[in-house]
Amino acid sequence: MNLAQVIFYILTAITIGSAAFVVLSQHLVRSVFMLFVTLFAVAGLYVFALADFVALTQIVIYVGGVLVLLLFAFLLSSKESLEGMEKIPSGLLSAHRLPGALISVLFLAVLGFIFFQIDFENLNWIKASVANGNVISVSDNTIRNIGINLMSKYLLPLEIVSILLMMVLIGAAHIARKEPKAS
Amino acid sequence: MIPLQHFLFISAILFCLGLFAVITRKNAIQILMGIELMINASILNLVAFSRFDKVDNTGQMFALFIIVLAAAAVAVALVIIMNLYKRVKSIDPNQSDTLRG
Amino acid sequence: MVQLFTPYQLFCLALLAITAPFLSFILSLIFKKIAGALGILSIGISFISSLILFLGIWKKQTLHFAFHWIELGNVKIDVGILLNDLSVIMLLLISFIALLVHIYSVEYMRKDGLKYRYFAYLSLFCFAMLSVVIADNLFLLYAFWELVGFSSYLLIGFWFSKEKAVQANKKAFIMNRIGDVGFLIGLMVMLTQFHTLDLSALFGSENLISSSFVKNGIWVTPFNTLPSYWLTITGFCFFAGAMAKSAQFPLHTWLPDAMEGPTAVSSLIHAATMVAAGVFLLLRIAPLFNEVVLTTMVCIGLFTAFMAATIALTQKDIKKVLAFSTISQLGFMVVAVGVQDQAAAIFHLVTHAFFKCLLFLAAGIVIHELHHLKEKHQLDFDEQDLNNMGGLRKQLPITALVFLLAAMALSGLPFTSGYLSKDAILVSIFEWADLKGGVYWIFPLFISITSWLTTFYIFRVVFKVFFGEFRLPQLLSKSDLKIHEPSSWMRVPVVVLGVFCFGFFFAYNPFSLDSAWIYQGFIQQVHSEGFYHILVPLYINVLSLALIFLTYQAYANKKIIFNLEHTWFYQLSLNQWYFNDFYDVFLMKIVLFKASVFNWFDHNIIDGFIHFLTDLVIWLSKISDWLDKHAIDGLVNGAAALVKRIGIWLRGMQSGKLQHYFIWMLLLFLSFMLFKIIV
Repeated sequence: MNLAQVIFYILTAITIGSAAFVVLSQHLVRSVFMLFVTLFAVAGLYVFALADFVALTQIVIYVGGVLVLLLFAFLLSSKESLEGMEKIPSGLLSAHRLPGALISVLFLAVLGFIFFQIDFENLNWIKASVANGNVISVSDNTIRNIGINLMSKYLLPLEIVSILLMMVLIGAAHIARKEPKAS
Repeated sequence: MIPLQHFLFISAILFCLGLFAVITRKNAIQILMGIELMINASILNLVAFSRFDKVDNTGQMFALFIIVLAAAAVAVALVIIMNLYKRVKSIDPNQSDTLRG
Repeated sequence: MVQLFTPYQLFCLALLAITAPFLSFILSLIFKKIAGALGILSIGISFISSLILFLGIWKKQTLHFAFHWIELGNVKIDVGILLNDLSVIMLLLISFIALLVHIYSVEYMRKDGLKYRYFAYLSLFCFAMLSVVIADNLFLLYAFWELVGFSSYLLIGFWFSKEKAVQANKKAFIMNRIGDVGFLIGLMVMLTQFHTLDLSALFGSENLISSSFVKNGIWVTPFNTLPSYWLTITGFCFFAGAMAKSAQFPLHTWLPDAMEGPTAVSSLIHAATMVAAGVFLLLRIAPLFNEVVLTTMVCIGLFTAFMAATIALTQKDIKKVLAFSTISQLGFMVVAVGVQDQAAAIFHLVTHAFFKCLLFLAAGIVIHELHHLKEKHQLDFDEQDLNNMGGLRKQLPITALVFLLAAMALSGLPFTSGYLSKDAILVSIFEWADLKGGVYWIFPLFISITSWLTTFYIFRVVFKVFFGEFRLPQLLSKSDLKIHEPSSWMRVPVVVLGVFCFGFFFAYNPFSLDSAWIYQGFIQQVHSEGFYHILVPLYINVLSLALIFLTYQAYANKKIIFNLEHTWFYQLSLNQWYFNDFYDVFLMKIVLFKASVFNWFDHNIIDGFIHFLTDLVIWLSKISDWLDKHAIDGLVNGAAALVKRIGIWLRGMQSGKLQHYFIWMLLLFLSFMLFKIIV
């Protein structure tokens, strides 16, 4: 077991642990802060999956954008609303959570069973790309290639997403503004 | 090299945690965070498979798009939650049950 | 003689003759004030039309107009008019007498509040009667026959507030129905046998009757065959219809009771026209009758004539005497038809119509005046009772004269119309008996006796009413009772009718039957100039004159007193041969007994059965009610409850909670996945 694997499993442990904390925590602010940790750890896992650019984007957008947005939404709203939001009434494994937990475990079992069943190394498309050398190695720099692909092959999706983003911004701003008193 | 299965298992565990949050939590923001976890799990899947596509980077591309869309979704969802709170004085989604049959 | 009118014009005249009274009937009910004038006008139009028709058709031609009316399979029924000698003579007779009666009625009914209705009914009757006479087929004839019966019903019961009048019109109606059933059956047999009811087709030249024959007990016609006794039955059926209308034994009892109607009505309907309808029917279909029916007809006619004459001897009511006289005379006519001397029957029908109508109208004057007297002095007596009259010739000279004339005609004295017609019948019977011989000589014997009885009873009335002393003042011990001749509305018709009682109008030579034009118009077989023609009138009249003298002595001079009140034949006659009692006892009682039996049966058996059924049904329904409540309702409620529970359970899914929806979605997805894994 080399160092990389050790770090990977440590990251895995952090990811799952913090995610569990996020899910199970009674305290909203704590769970939000714990989400930081999770997201960072997941970004680390992306790096291990040889996707540097996605890891960077994760940190920039998720950590820098989404989480900040979440915290700002919290902290900038009025005090009573914050109190209302902070309250998380139930315990860890109360009776009405049991079906939820069961479903989740069942889902996990199904997914795990499927992943065990499939022999990924021998999938046709993976075998073909291994044979063609179409595999990212650790030393490869993928960012340049992503940039080219983004501006050529995936230009249309990019534009659609950018328009969508603009619509979302406008829509969010519209919904968020104070309603006129008349209504 | 980390085997593909490991990523998949991690993503499965993450996904189920997010699922659990979505099912059981009474706080809309925590549900939102559960959704984020599920999205992250799926991104992890995509990224893991993306290793076998050096030329086109399809997996990574969609991971990027998903991140962007998730951010947008969060923005909108937060606004909706705020508005909901203003109306029913609660962010428990079960409190607003006007859809009930 | 030049033909004045085309057949089409004659047809229109015939239509006019029958529609005028009908219009008058309708208009009288609308314009109540001028009902009398309308009635006289319409019947006047009918009379003039009839006169023209008579001149155009009598002994010249036979006209037949028909329109297609009903088609039943291969049977066609027309509506049409048949104008032959018989039709036009009847038409003339009816319209003339009806005209006179209308005029007479103006005065007679002057004080009656429902005068307009009287004239309306009278018009309806005239319409029906005239239509009967000119109807061209038996079906149409039957329809108007019924209408005649109906209008007669209305008129008999005209004073409907009188209980007796109501009873009388019911009686008349029912009696006529009995006969009409016979008529209807006859119609149906005719329809079966000949497939037509057209009179000219059946009885005209080249008729169907003569083309049918009886052979080997089978009645064969061009269309059908039946056992021969059906011919006899048909004859009897038609005869039954005529019997009811013409008041022959045993259906005669309605006619005396019908005298409850106004006297003018009695004179028109129950003396001159309606009762003649029966005889008219017999004449119309005379070729149909076979030997059996004809002999029966003679028997019944003779018996009726004799019986009615004996009854008329003792009746106290002047109208009753005349009613039985009518029955008796109708019996004579039926006998004449029975001996196949149609000419005599028609001739007697016509002459009888005149003098009997006159008798009634004259009697009506007497009754009318006595009624006035009664009202004026507020007395209480029966104005129709013969015993209250007497010596009225001084106060009512004209009436007495015409009444005497009519009585002479009825008796068949020389110079009168009755002499010709009645003696024609008598001669026919003598000849018929001579032909048959043997026991048939009983018929001439009885008809002679009847003839003398006729003389006796009518002169009894004459002498009791117009001769001797006025008995009323003595009876009521009042001396100032005076009556006087009525106005000319009533006088003129009786005088006109009185004139027609003379034989000159019917024969150039009032002693010779062969010069009577009506008789000659219908004569079929030439009478042998036998000694009966001389002998019969002679011996009848000689005895009649003797009887008149006897009657005069008895009732006018009171030289002879009959003391027969307690003998059996007096009682028999007074009580009208007990026919009413007989019907009461043997028909009414039986009917009532049967009714009570059926009533008992109905009450106890049928009602009991029905009650049992009711109980059964109630019981069953109780069971079914219990089942319904407990079994079916339970089932239904159970099903409803089940659905409700399922609904509640399913409703739980639709909690409106976001996460629940999500859970359901996941469960579905999971089960799908598991299914994929397992399969």
